[in-house]
Amino acid sequence: MKILLVEDHAELARSIAGYLGQEHYICEVASTFDEAREKLALFSYDVVLLDIMLPDGNGINLLKLLRKEGVESTVIIISAQNALDFKLTGLSEGADDYITKPFPLPELHARIKAIMRRRSAHKNNVLTFQDITADLESMECRVKGKLLNLTRKETNLLLYFINNKGRMLTRQAIAAHLWGDYTDNLDSVDFVYQHVKNLRKKITDAGGKDYISTVYGFGYKLSAPDQ
Amino acid sequence: MKLNYRYTLAYAVLTFFVLSLGFAIVYSALSRSVTQATIGKLENINELVTSQLRRGLATVPDSLRPYVQASPVAAGAGPHRRTVVVQPEWEAALQARVAVVRLTTYPVVGGQLYRVASRAAVVEPRDAYLTGLVLVFAWTFVFLLALVVILSELISWRILRPFNATLHGIQQFELSQPQAIALPETHTAEFRELNDFLVKMTGRAQSDYRGLKEFSENASHELQTPIASIKAKLELLIDSELSEQQLRTLTTMHDELERLAKINQALTLLAKLEHFEPGPEALANLSQLVPATEAAFADLAEMKGLATTQRIAPGVRVPLDASLAQLLLNNLFSNAIRHNVPGGKIDVSLSETELLLANTGLAPSAPVDELFGRFKKGNAALDSIGIGLAIVKRISELYGHRINYDYANGWHRVRMIFADSKLPAV
Repeated sequence: MKILLVEDHAELARSIAGYLGQEHYICEVASTFDEAREKLALFSYDVVLLDIMLPDGNGINLLKLLRKEGVESTVIIISAQNALDFKLTGLSEGADDYITKPFPLPELHARIKAIMRRRSAHKNNVLTFQDITADLESMECRVKGKLLNLTRKETNLLLYFINNKGRMLTRQAIAAHLWGDYTDNLDSVDFVYQHVKNLRKKITDAGGKDYISTVYGFGYKLSAPDQ
Repeated sequence: MKLNYRYTLAYAVLTFFVLSLGFAIVYSALSRSVTQATIGKLENINELVTSQLRRGLATVPDSLRPYVQASPVAAGAGPHRRTVVVQPEWEAALQARVAVVRLTTYPVVGGQLYRVASRAAVVEPRDAYLTGLVLVFAWTFVFLLALVVILSELISWRILRPFNATLHGIQQFELSQPQAIALPETHTAEFRELNDFLVKMTGRAQSDYRGLKEFSENASHELQTPIASIKAKLELLIDSELSEQQLRTLTTMHDELERLAKINQALTLLAKLEHFEPGPEALANLSQLVPATEAAFADLAEMKGLATTQRIAPGVRVPLDASLAQLLLNNLFSNAIRHNVPGGKIDVSLSETELLLANTGLAPSAPVDELFGRFKKGNAALDSIGIGLAIVKRISELYGHRINYDYANGWHRVRMIFADSKLPAV
């Protein structure tokens, strides 16, 4: 899958591109409005990650241009603008999603995956990890075919883990994913612990292995047991 | 008290004193001239009597007898000068005690010194004219006062019109408005000076305000990208092979960065809200939003063992942007949970006029009023940045809702009183 990252901050662009590369995406970087327009004219991309503030233009104009020319790429805006800006001013109009800086990289990955899945509606709607399956249509999760009785947050959490399997997820990243970026609620990270604990218990109760490991003081990781 | 009323009052007092003084002068002048006229008449009589004496008539005519006496005076009986005496006496003819003028002259007729004494009653203005005079002055006063009141209204309307327009302009002015203050043209020098000064001053205040706003907005905005970059790098680093010591250090750095990002985000948001102009028709359906927010926070409340009770009136819509309402409720609910005690309670009640969110908790350590300020925390031990209530307050103010907070008997209460409780039924 090809991704075009439009971001003028070179170091941030390098980190994001590096991360997406690890997730087996082909990621190209454009650092200016003109460069991005040129690349979009020459090649086709599945996803465009678009920063709004570019040195030689506004990302929103690029988005309008894309839509006018009928480019079908999925566009996710990555911007330092506040989430409220998008909601109040309809800044993200025409974009498929937006994510505000600073964001956890796994969150970006989860968003890309979610949008790509929504776009290709009739394709594979079941996520699997080892013996866990998650049906994204009915939001049902099963362990070895046995239905798990999960709350909405727990389902969300499990999907986040599966989408970012093998990666370390910080408590803050999980909290931001589960509760959004509105609250000034830093101790919601304590609640992450509770949710993860419940999820692990439900999986093991259903006869699954405990794939989630704790990195004390930092976060969690979903990984296959060492072979 | 309005300016022209003050003028009118001052003028009324002044007029009263001037008229009183005028009244006193008129009264005394009148009184004096009546006496003088009587003296003049008596002098005539004395002259008449004297000339009769000269013509050899030894006695005073009968008709004058009650008023004039003439008698020869022995020579050398001391100085004989003309005397005038005015004093109250019993007057038989009038059957009253009145002022009587006595004039005595000493003419020499044929070498013989005579004493001619005449007298007459004076009708003093006190008796007859006083009431009339008072009435004249009272009516003049009333008439003047009425004229002053009417004229002051007219004149002040005319003269003070530019001033009132300036006042109106100041009242309409807001620091955050994009255009300069609107003041009308005037030909009055003082008002023009005032207007020039106001235009200059508000212009400077506006440009200062804009500069500050832009700076704080840009500063926190520009910080977001470097923070995002550091955060991404830290995350990539943490995912690599590390010793426990290194991981611990990185984790601490990551946590601190997270905190920095949160503060910065909150400040950007506040800066955004500072100059946010609410749309006129934005209505938030709180009857729907409040239970929905409660449900979203239910798992957090449950984990802390909190019991929530709700009383929600149906169909409550208040002027509030929906996403701002959500932000406000999120902050209120997360506060109610965070500042609660394990096994505590949360009580939510929504009515047509207000939203009340109460929760059990420990007493705040800072004064209650300061909690709406930035970086004020009711409980220093908690890991919050203390900006949530400032945001809540700002959002409420944007739409004119009043918000207050109090703590009593172990309960924190945040009450939001809606600006307009009479909303059109939808």
